[in-house]
Amino acid sequence: MTDTTPRLSARQIARRRRSVAWRRNWKLFRGHRSGLIGLVILGVFVAIALAAPLLADADGLKVTKATGGVLEAPSSEFWLGTDENGRSVLTMLIWGARISLFVGLLATAISMVIGTIVGLVSGFFEGWTARLLYRLTEWFLVIPFLPLAIILAVVLGRSLVNIAIVIGVTSWPATALLIRSQTLSIKERPYLERARLLGAGRWHRMTRHVLPNVMPMVFANTTLTVAVAILSETTLSFLGLGDPTRISWGSMLEGAFGVGAMTTGSWWYMVPPGICVVLVVLAFTLIGQALEEIFNPRLRSR
Amino acid sequence: MAAATTALALGVGLATAGSLAVQPAGAADDEPVTFNVAFLDEVDSFNPFNGFQATSYELWAMMYDYMIGYSMEDMSPEPALAESWETSEDGLTWTFDIREGVEWSDGEPLTAGDIAYTYTRILDGGPEAVNWGTYLTSVETATAPDDTTVVLELSKPNAVLPLLPIPILPEHVWSEVPEDEVKSYRNEPTDGEPVVGSGSFQLVEGTAGGSTYVLEANPDYWAGAPHIDRVAFRVYKSEDPAIQAIIKGEVDFVDDITPIQVEALQGREGIYAQNGVSPYFEEIAFNTGAVDTETGEPLGDGNPALQDPAFRHALGYALDNERLAESAYQGAGVPGVTFIPPFYETFYWEPPEDEMFTFDLDRAGELLDEAGYEVGSDGLRTMPDGSPIGTLRLFARDEEERSQTIMEFFQEWLGEIGIESEVSVMESNQLTNVILEGNFDLFHWGWYVEGDPDSILSVFLCDARGGSSDSWYCNEEFDALYESQNAEVDDEARIETIKQMQEIIYRDSPYLITAYTTTGQAVRTDRFACFRPQPDPGGVLLVQYGAFNYHFLRPADEAGDCDGVESAIGASESSGSDDDDGGGVALWFLGGAVLVLLVAGVVVAVRRRSTADSRE
Amino acid sequence: MSTLVASGTEAVTEPPTRRRNYGRYVLGKVLGALGSLFFVLVVNFFLFRVLPGDPARTLTRGRAVTQEQLDALTEQYGLDEPLLQQFLTYLKNTFQGDLGVSIRYNVPVSELIADRFWPTLWLVGVSTLLATLIGVYLGMVSAWRRGGGFDKFSTGTTLTLYSMPEWWLGLLLIAGFSVGVGPLPGIFPTGGLHSIDVEPGTAGYVLDAAWHLTLPIITLTLAYLAEYSLIMRSSLLDELGEDYLVTARAKGLRDVDVRRRHAVPNALLPTTTLAALNIGFVVAGAITIETIFSIPGLGLLSYEAISIPDYDVLQGTLLLSSGAVIAANLVANLIYGILDPRVRT
Repeated sequence: MTDTTPRLSARQIARRRRSVAWRRNWKLFRGHRSGLIGLVILGVFVAIALAAPLLADADGLKVTKATGGVLEAPSSEFWLGTDENGRSVLTMLIWGARISLFVGLLATAISMVIGTIVGLVSGFFEGWTARLLYRLTEWFLVIPFLPLAIILAVVLGRSLVNIAIVIGVTSWPATALLIRSQTLSIKERPYLERARLLGAGRWHRMTRHVLPNVMPMVFANTTLTVAVAILSETTLSFLGLGDPTRISWGSMLEGAFGVGAMTTGSWWYMVPPGICVVLVVLAFTLIGQALEEIFNPRLRSR
Repeated sequence: MAAATTALALGVGLATAGSLAVQPAGAADDEPVTFNVAFLDEVDSFNPFNGFQATSYELWAMMYDYMIGYSMEDMSPEPALAESWETSEDGLTWTFDIREGVEWSDGEPLTAGDIAYTYTRILDGGPEAVNWGTYLTSVETATAPDDTTVVLELSKPNAVLPLLPIPILPEHVWSEVPEDEVKSYRNEPTDGEPVVGSGSFQLVEGTAGGSTYVLEANPDYWAGAPHIDRVAFRVYKSEDPAIQAIIKGEVDFVDDITPIQVEALQGREGIYAQNGVSPYFEEIAFNTGAVDTETGEPLGDGNPALQDPAFRHALGYALDNERLAESAYQGAGVPGVTFIPPFYETFYWEPPEDEMFTFDLDRAGELLDEAGYEVGSDGLRTMPDGSPIGTLRLFARDEEERSQTIMEFFQEWLGEIGIESEVSVMESNQLTNVILEGNFDLFHWGWYVEGDPDSILSVFLCDARGGSSDSWYCNEEFDALYESQNAEVDDEARIETIKQMQEIIYRDSPYLITAYTTTGQAVRTDRFACFRPQPDPGGVLLVQYGAFNYHFLRPADEAGDCDGVESAIGASESSGSDDDDGGGVALWFLGGAVLVLLVAGVVVAVRRRSTADSRE
Repeated sequence: MSTLVASGTEAVTEPPTRRRNYGRYVLGKVLGALGSLFFVLVVNFFLFRVLPGDPARTLTRGRAVTQEQLDALTEQYGLDEPLLQQFLTYLKNTFQGDLGVSIRYNVPVSELIADRFWPTLWLVGVSTLLATLIGVYLGMVSAWRRGGGFDKFSTGTTLTLYSMPEWWLGLLLIAGFSVGVGPLPGIFPTGGLHSIDVEPGTAGYVLDAAWHLTLPIITLTLAYLAEYSLIMRSSLLDELGEDYLVTARAKGLRDVDVRRRHAVPNALLPTTTLAALNIGFVVAGAITIETIFSIPGLGLLSYEAISIPDYDVLQGTLLLSSGAVIAANLVANLIYGILDPRVRT
């Protein structure tokens, strides 16, 4: 039960223990079939995203280079039909995977960095800075996500990085609170008191003792945040706030809705991007839950 | 849990009851005939001094009358409340004979006094002048010497008159609304009392920004009672549901749909769908040299090459309007030439054959060479002094999807003649600011053109810079011609001047016109008939200039020959057979959902088993 | 938007550090809420002032207007005053209940919001209620029979629903039940809040509105359902692992009693909190759903205001929704404090 909580401050022992812990966790994860399935689904999509240039010519995304007719049904040439500009939906789907994953990961990275720092500091330190940070977190938490994100998206303008920033800066408070509560409980543990008595400074204790112990939860939380970030990107794009010059699954759905996929019967334009979103979000959620069960002893023991 | 079950059962019960409640109650004779219209934008104000949306203009036209309206053929001035008019020799005095016996919906008589009152309010300035002031340019006073005469005194001749599409408001109601309360006066039905008007319909239900508006026929309308009892507007926030609504028969008319949707609807029985000609052109505009209007200093960071008319004109040969009409406009646009749409035949000008823009990249290259923009060693064209031109910024509008497509095509064609460019997309608001700050090179937008070209001509005036001019174009020759046409009372001479002005713009090319667009509309012809297009033929069926069709249309079984108007969309015209492909689609949608659920179910089933195993 | 499943509960409660009495606890929470409210006011005001676009100019584009008319518009809306002055005016007016006037509709924002409030409240309120009841039930049964067929199916379905953009689900439902094809009758309307023919205030009107709201409510219920169910399941599983329950069972209490008397009430705490929080998201929650179903509610109102930009409307709706979240949070915290003295920090 104590794999991830080294009781000695000796660096070497800690490191060795940690690597043992990671190995054990991987073993646990392997036994976690839903997490593995999530990993496989995710692996497939990551592979598609990375291999996009091999799978489909990027020129297929340009309206000026479109070869198909308007909203053609699936055929041997266009496996998933064409959009209103005659582009192959499959090509857009493959390249869209890159954008959707990229935005999801970048947004999560931003959210995690802010959330972890704010959470750690407000949990570990005492005094007005910590209290202010905690208040700030609470304040941000009460501003509804979507309206705030929409307004920020309008202010910053439409670009890929901006949309990631918008999602990142609106979704960190939940992470910060989680990290803070973890930090608070770790801080109370006796070995930290011992470390303090042995002369370890605040910075040392925070980075060497608290952070490593919080990291697993951060990691689990990260995968769940990616899921939410990808969903958010899809929604913002659907509302027309995505990067108009890039094709993501969300912007495809916006296009399909705008062109009247229901009226024109072009299910091939409306359904596949949605299924991709569901699968990827599901994959991240499954992995995240598996990680949570592994890293959170309380959850694992049940 | 019992609570949830009950709630669910209640929901189902409600659903059934609801659906029964709304089924048409048979063809009972006393059932009022309601014409249901789906719009994509709401009314932003029922007060004609406040609103800006096209929907608002549409409803004002139904609620009120004009003194002079628009003809259906070509939107030229046509008698409405005024039966006839005459001008003095010098063109400074206009006298209108007003129809007798017209009444407001509350029984008060509508007289020349109401008209003079409305115009005077606008002439006084203030918030009332914002929407309507331009129609009364150079009008000094509007008076009513008696109940059937309106006299306008002008300071100088105004060629736009007698076009006066200003809703005439009842003095006995509006005299109680002082100028400082105009902005907050809502002009909506109160306590079940309809808004007092004189139009063919009166507003009985609706608030600004609301989602439904109901208007009831005015049985005492001076041109005769409408053939239907009510018109109900319903605002849909997206096109697809609106189209589904017309397919299901929840609405009888849907406005502003895409050419693809028009095509999808054309196959359906009982529905007539068309891309109606609308007086709208779209253009690629250049930053011809933005200046601070007060100091005259250059403003912004526009590319200097674009300040040369020869450079701009050469690019006209690098624009394949045929191709754009086919792909970007989805086959529903007409390749553009000049800024006056061709159905305004009187004013439309076309360049001689040999000067007409054709898609000819070689020609564009030659013209650029001649003007000194030669290809450098890196394959890119340079300024006449040899410095690089740099990258032109092409701005597209976010609200119009085709805008981006058009700019992407243009970017490619520019690349082929050795000019680098990049496309970016922004919201109209943002683009407006960028234009006013002069921080742009090219953008794509469009203009509505009224029956009289005066207002579109004014867009190219030096004085319009920093205001309605978005190309920062300034040419004294053009300005002088504008003054002369505006004061010219001889029609022939004026038309000649206006054609000359189009020639100048064509030559100097502050705008390259990409297309004259159409508006997609669909109507349930199995339920209603007699929609006369405006312009006739080929025009739109509703959202016209004026409210003619609401008065003219009738239930399909009473259509007859539509009073002999041959161009009217009648009951017999609804197009051919229909294959119901919508069914397959929805099944596919559901199939997708079910599939996903199944996949997930399996995933989790497997997962649960595995964890259960490891646990026990 | 979806709250993160993992952190939904942690979001509102602090872990225990010291004990204090309830009075101080309440005071602290109320002061905290007031602080949040002020922060929201500040953000609310300054955020909107950096939105691009000059509203006076935007309103008149495409129409020939003189500079004087433009200036008059700018002055009328106070857009020419210094920023700080505008902020002070904003604060004063807000506390007097004056939320300003919509630039677009020339109507007081408070009236607009009052008009648009009820559709959204019904939509999100009923959805949240249904989602809570059904979700809690599903989560409870799943946890109790964990690993069983019901648990597998229920958890699988809810996880999938959680992974779905709610508007995509809505579109599928429109395709299936509004368009109405094949074996599925298109019994529900394609959008809007009520039919043209019904008289407001009658039973028919209520039925008609319910009929129009059925599909959007089903969509939102399905979308919200997942969170409640997953949280209820995991917190009940948590509780079942607690020592006291093992003891209770060892004492010979029947399973059903253990569940009813001990585990369920405790596990309900985090779920209740989440429900309270979500009610606060009334305004925000329905933007996409109101758009695809054309429901004239607050979400649609604020989304449409963005493109003008209609400052006062945006401020009003964001203030209202943030205020609702703060209030709901406060109430949840206070109830939590009564139910579970451990959290009185």
